[in-house]
Amino acid sequence: MFQNYELNNIFDEMFRETGVPRQHYEPVYGQLTSLNDGAFQRRRQMADISFRNQGITFTVYKDDSGVERIFPFDLVPRIVPAAEWRTIERGLEQRITALNMFCKDVYHDQHILREKVIPAEMIYSAKMFRREMLHVNVPNDIYIHVCGTDLIRDKDGSYLVLEDNGRTPSGVSYVIENRAVMKRVLPSLFESYPVRSVEEYPFNLLQCLKELAPARSEDPTIVVLTPGIYNSAYYEHSFLARQMGVELVEGKDLIYDDGKVYMRTTGGRRLVDVIYRRIDDDFLDPLCFRPDSILGVPGLMNAYRCGNVALANAAGTGVADDKAVYPYVPAMIKFYLKQEPILNNVPTYVCANDEHRKYVLEHLHELVVKATNESGGYGMLMGHQSTAEERAEFAKLIKADPRNYIAQPVVQFSQCPSLVDDHFEGRRVDLRPYILYGKKCVVTPGGLTRVALKEGSLVVNSSQGGGSKDTWVLEEVR
Amino acid sequence: MAEKTEGKERVNVKRDWGMQTQSLPKLKPSTFQGRVPRSPATRPMLARVAESLYWMSRYMERAEHVGRIVLVNFNVLMDLGDLAQNMQEKQWLSVMRILRLHTTPEGMQILSQGDRNIGQRVAEFMAFDTRNRSSLINCLTKARENARSIRESISVEMWETLNTLYWAQQADDAKQSLAESPQQILNSAIMGSLLFQGVTDQTLPHGQGWQFIQLAKHLERIEMTCRVIEAKFDILKSQEWALETSLSNIQWMAVLRSCSSIEAFRRRYVGDLDPQRVVAFLIFDKESPRSIRYCVREAQKAVAGIAMAAHPLEIDPLERILGRLDGQLELAETRELNSAGVKMVLEQILENTGEAASAIQRSYFLH
Repeated sequence: MFQNYELNNIFDEMFRETGVPRQHYEPVYGQLTSLNDGAFQRRRQMADISFRNQGITFTVYKDDSGVERIFPFDLVPRIVPAAEWRTIERGLEQRITALNMFCKDVYHDQHILREKVIPAEMIYSAKMFRREMLHVNVPNDIYIHVCGTDLIRDKDGSYLVLEDNGRTPSGVSYVIENRAVMKRVLPSLFESYPVRSVEEYPFNLLQCLKELAPARSEDPTIVVLTPGIYNSAYYEHSFLARQMGVELVEGKDLIYDDGKVYMRTTGGRRLVDVIYRRIDDDFLDPLCFRPDSILGVPGLMNAYRCGNVALANAAGTGVADDKAVYPYVPAMIKFYLKQEPILNNVPTYVCANDEHRKYVLEHLHELVVKATNESGGYGMLMGHQSTAEERAEFAKLIKADPRNYIAQPVVQFSQCPSLVDDHFEGRRVDLRPYILYGKKCVVTPGGLTRVALKEGSLVVNSSQGGGSKDTWVLEEVR
Repeated sequence: MAEKTEGKERVNVKRDWGMQTQSLPKLKPSTFQGRVPRSPATRPMLARVAESLYWMSRYMERAEHVGRIVLVNFNVLMDLGDLAQNMQEKQWLSVMRILRLHTTPEGMQILSQGDRNIGQRVAEFMAFDTRNRSSLINCLTKARENARSIRESISVEMWETLNTLYWAQQADDAKQSLAESPQQILNSAIMGSLLFQGVTDQTLPHGQGWQFIQLAKHLERIEMTCRVIEAKFDILKSQEWALETSLSNIQWMAVLRSCSSIEAFRRRYVGDLDPQRVVAFLIFDKESPRSIRYCVREAQKAVAGIAMAAHPLEIDPLERILGRLDGQLELAETRELNSAGVKMVLEQILENTGEAASAIQRSYFLH
């Protein structure tokens, strides 16, 4: 099944060189090669049926009607040895600490702007910079409680940060469900490794949310706020509410009155203390942000500013994961923590900068251009795979609105074997670990490994035909 | 040290039977006190969740009835042998009437034309036609949609049972298997619904949410039972049917089967299939979980539980309506049942359940 496996001249998660697996992949390699392909196919079908019957689906929008799909699951696990994980963990903790200090600073005294570490116009022009949050004190001075940071590995295998998702990152439910399915369909493979558990995530999240509750109640009411059943991540919202044992609410279930937020129950109103919101800032409160939003709660921001209800993540964190602010994160780490970044960024050209823009326009064919406010793999130009027209189109867009674009060299990130028909081929993978930042910082040992299932593709987003793998972080060897 | 003093205080509390509780210093809460903490008071649930539970349950119950009614009718027609075309139509018309579909444009179209035999047409319409709002598949879809929007409030087992049932009926070969053997696929829907009820009872705490499910299920069952009886009355009285006993027997057996009550009835009346008894059994029996009176009482229990948790000091309008219905049934049982009388009772029941349904809406869902 590995006969014609190509290493493609990039970092391969499983193989050191052709036919020679890395040490931590040896048991997997051994078991996979000993299975006949019928057996592996059967296991894959078992996994698919299991996902469908459990209703672990996401919605794809097409022809005006949402279709429920299974998030394609790739049975070959991605394995992260303990030593590698230690670095990732430390790097992510450093990063989220700096990002939180940045949010606090930018919405209060703005030292970092006054000392010109980051150009002020970069911040004020960020679409996700929320004036409404200036001088608002948030519980414990924490803004980003839940963060999903995308990592990729370059040619020599070192981890780079591709982006921070500090608004409402999704995918953690798949981390937990993938693990459950993996244990069910390939138990013997799973048992041959000392894999660290990911199941504590919901518990840790709940602890993190409890810390935010206003002092008034010993047993705070915590809710998960979802845009509703038709949202593509609805499954996850419901999953987290279920795992934490809290209510899953929609905007229409909540009501603002006299500085407080209540939920409508069969017995009348009940006061709400903490909202884990899975709705973007824009839709949170029509009185404060987009007036046409019907997903949010009119008055919510008012209650939030009064300190009568807590939000996680805080409003306004989008300023920290703006793609044009991302290049400054290493500078933030040095500025706030006086430390060297443990995880590096991908080199990035900011089109708002004249010199950078000039370089970008001249080298469009070898760069990836991204719109700063888009996510999910939309609004992107893959320079090396583009046509002349597409490049001309992007050149025009960049000149018209330079602030809105950044460019990065094409990183040939790592691949991992995936089952294609009846054999294995290398497919690109990234890694999104989930970080909870409360009184202590917890990086869940594991994460979502997303796979670009199309041959040669560098885009791993589920909306663009990506799948996922179970990610095994190994125990420290004692 | 600290623990010792705490221990002493606890002893005091015990001896004084809590008389001094107010003057006692508050005990520090800690995880291991040697006593199980009192379970927290149940909280009222989200109005939207209550509403979704209610509709999930109603649609599930309706799906079961639709499946059973179609299945039973297939079997009746087999027993009756070759019927004249218009007789067959009459028979299927009564099925459509139970679900109030005979007057909808799609329903009329299905009844009046088509090249395949009418049985197959109607069965397919009732089971898998998405244009038919009460088709089995539409009921299941709506039940599932409701469940999907409140997955955090139902048990995993409930969700997986319902979801698996949905996908089984949604399968590509479902239509094919209906043509080959209606028994197979319709039965799996009926059994699926029963399994769901069992799973619900054994995995969901019997709190307010469960009570909404019970309330909905029993209201739906009352309505469907009423309509089954009503439709059969119409068919038996119409002129084409000579009231031969054998024919009428088959019809009344079908009614009992449609309400899943034939065995219970046989045991109660030792096989005597007198129409009056059948009707009396389906309406007044106190033990059969399929009889209307039983369902009314179960609904009353559910409402009492819900109201107690929501607003303990008030009498819920719903309690009044169901109480009145119970009283009316009590009264009706003492009278002799002729056709007109039965019709009146059925009308009364339907009127009350309709009123009850809108009262629920007002009291609990529209906050």
